[in-house]
Amino acid sequence: MQVKNKSVIGESHHALSEYRSKKLLAEYYIPVTEELLVRHPADAVSAAEKIGYPVAMKACSPELMHKTEAGCIELGITSDDGVLLAYKRIKSSVTVELEGILVQEMVPGIRELIAGLNREPQFGPCVMLGIGGVMTEIINDTVFRVAPFDLVEAMDMMRELRSQAMLSGFRGQLPVDLETVCRCLVALGDIGLEHPEISEIDINPLKVNQDGRVKAVDALVVFSPENRI
Amino acid sequence: MQKSIEHTALYHIMNPEHIAMFGASNRFAAMGTNLLSSIKALGFKGDIYPVHPKEVQVMGLKTYASVMDLPVVPDLAFIVLPTNLVPEILEACGKKGIKHAIIVSGGFKEVGGDGIALEKKICDIADKYSMRFVGPNCIGVVNPHHRFNATYFPYQQASGFIGMASQSGSFVTQMFDYLSNFGLGYSAGISVGNEANIDLVDCLEYLGACPNTKVISLYIETIRRGREFIDMARSIVPHKPIVAYYVGGSEAGKKATFSHTGALSGPDKLYDGIFRQSGVIRAQSIEEMFDFCLCLGMCPKPEGNRVIIQTHSGGPGAVAADVCCREGLKLNPISQNTRKKLAPYVPHTGSTNNPIDITYSKNPMDYYVSIPKVLMEDEDSDAVLIYFLMPDHSVQRAMEGFGITGEKAVEQTGVFIDDQSKTVADLLKGFSKPFIGFSFYTRENRFIKNLQDKGVAILPSPVRAAKAMSAMVQYVNLREKITRGGKKAA
Repeated sequence: MQVKNKSVIGESHHALSEYRSKKLLAEYYIPVTEELLVRHPADAVSAAEKIGYPVAMKACSPELMHKTEAGCIELGITSDDGVLLAYKRIKSSVTVELEGILVQEMVPGIRELIAGLNREPQFGPCVMLGIGGVMTEIINDTVFRVAPFDLVEAMDMMRELRSQAMLSGFRGQLPVDLETVCRCLVALGDIGLEHPEISEIDINPLKVNQDGRVKAVDALVVFSPENRI
Repeated sequence: MQKSIEHTALYHIMNPEHIAMFGASNRFAAMGTNLLSSIKALGFKGDIYPVHPKEVQVMGLKTYASVMDLPVVPDLAFIVLPTNLVPEILEACGKKGIKHAIIVSGGFKEVGGDGIALEKKICDIADKYSMRFVGPNCIGVVNPHHRFNATYFPYQQASGFIGMASQSGSFVTQMFDYLSNFGLGYSAGISVGNEANIDLVDCLEYLGACPNTKVISLYIETIRRGREFIDMARSIVPHKPIVAYYVGGSEAGKKATFSHTGALSGPDKLYDGIFRQSGVIRAQSIEEMFDFCLCLGMCPKPEGNRVIIQTHSGGPGAVAADVCCREGLKLNPISQNTRKKLAPYVPHTGSTNNPIDITYSKNPMDYYVSIPKVLMEDEDSDAVLIYFLMPDHSVQRAMEGFGITGEKAVEQTGVFIDDQSKTVADLLKGFSKPFIGFSFYTRENRFIKNLQDKGVAILPSPVRAAKAMSAMVQYVNLREKITRGGKKAA
């Protein structure tokens, strides 16, 4: 079982939890993983059965930002017993108060994108698209646009990626649903324009499954300091 | 978005009729005196009114003790004074009813401390009187078509078609001579200084509307009004190309960190995206920026990215081909039809692959006229790159071979080269396909100079020519994207 690390940021509620971050993205028609937030082991099992195995389980809290703290994500769980074990391990791995445990579909596929929003004082909300995955920093293939922009411009962002060949079909992977990626990028810009309190959004990864469909597998919405709760 | 040029903030600054000149005196070392000298040297046709508390006459011009004494309301105040005098003079100009100014003086925001408050003060004065000004802390402006050079440097070049706005004064004035090495000149040059009132966006608006400007060049260290820059550029690019050379990172860019990807979000990449979204071609150096401007201003735009290269020397042709491929341009095989048309001109040692390598010409004008004509007529390509080499001495040697000697040979060489360059230039005028020549010879060479002066784009190396061709394809693609997507990015 893979273990992904997460770190704990002490400052309280300057971000939305993964669950609530994705709820916001879904309001803007950004496809997100099917997931349920549970507070009891038995609910976790029924959630997993409802979603269908294999599932991922994650500790869910606005205080859990990306990275470090072993054990608060478990991937590829295939049985009820696995769910119960994961539930216990995740609970004991974190000290912060949790919104709950997130039970989530596993998205198969070998291609990962990253997408995000940031604010640049002279340009306002800027949207980023990049090649994701464990080597994202090494590959260092990212492109930017200033919101608002249209679908033509979003399509041009994809053409600007050095690794754009990854978006076409290869090795049994179908071409990426470019139109949906474009809509996600335009939507991120719209969120930036309509929500001045949000300073930053990260979708990492925006995973591409074998048939080319994309889904936000992890997401984080961060507030600007003056808007922190 | 597009205003008529008379309604842009810069119109009276670039095309003044009556100038109130502050800072010129009979002290010849003074900056203001030098600037007045520059204005007079280019033969400015309007009226200049020096204002000075003590002088009676400066450089033969009647001088006034106060701006209030001037017989007319000038359309421009040119202020080259010690920093602390600027606010009161600007205020006086406002009272007089002058609506435009160039403030060369430094010592404002760029020095920090009291300078920041002083800059705020001149901005407030300008707002109070609805004045627009360039600067402070700038080198001035130049409009050769209006015979108006308000910079320290003499403008001795021809008027041109490049409209430049620069956050470095040096890249306006010190380029005068550089551009003349290509037979180029400015249509307008604006050193924006601190951009306290008029900024790059205002410059774009003016240059976009300026009929003498065929291509806009920008030297950028920071963009202050981001969204407005993008929208203004997108409104211009459908009818006029913009090339920018950007250096450094914005204050903001340095802070920009996407939390998962902090290392990835450098300001440079952000600006790549911003320029592409704006439809602006990004050059990698000042030289490259002007290479792109030369070709964009002189050549018809390509309809696609299929290039044919013609050479008679293997090396230069191979270099051009290599760079074309790296830049994403296509070198397709030459069509059967075109090969057939080329056959009479290509000796058995030559090749009609792409590059077409003639090796040697049976008749010198095959290389410069007959073959280019066939290539320009070729329907399966969008652009032509040709290696140019016609040293005076080899023409002269050929003359001597025909028995023409001495002064007669020199004269005949000149006549021959002039005729040939005219024939080449005339041939190219008939086509709407871009053609860029490349040569290691410069304007010292009569053939190159003639061709450039007759409007043929020639750059000093195969690498530079191929990159400029790529920039033209990039412009066409950006223009198409913006036209399709709508002028506003939204």
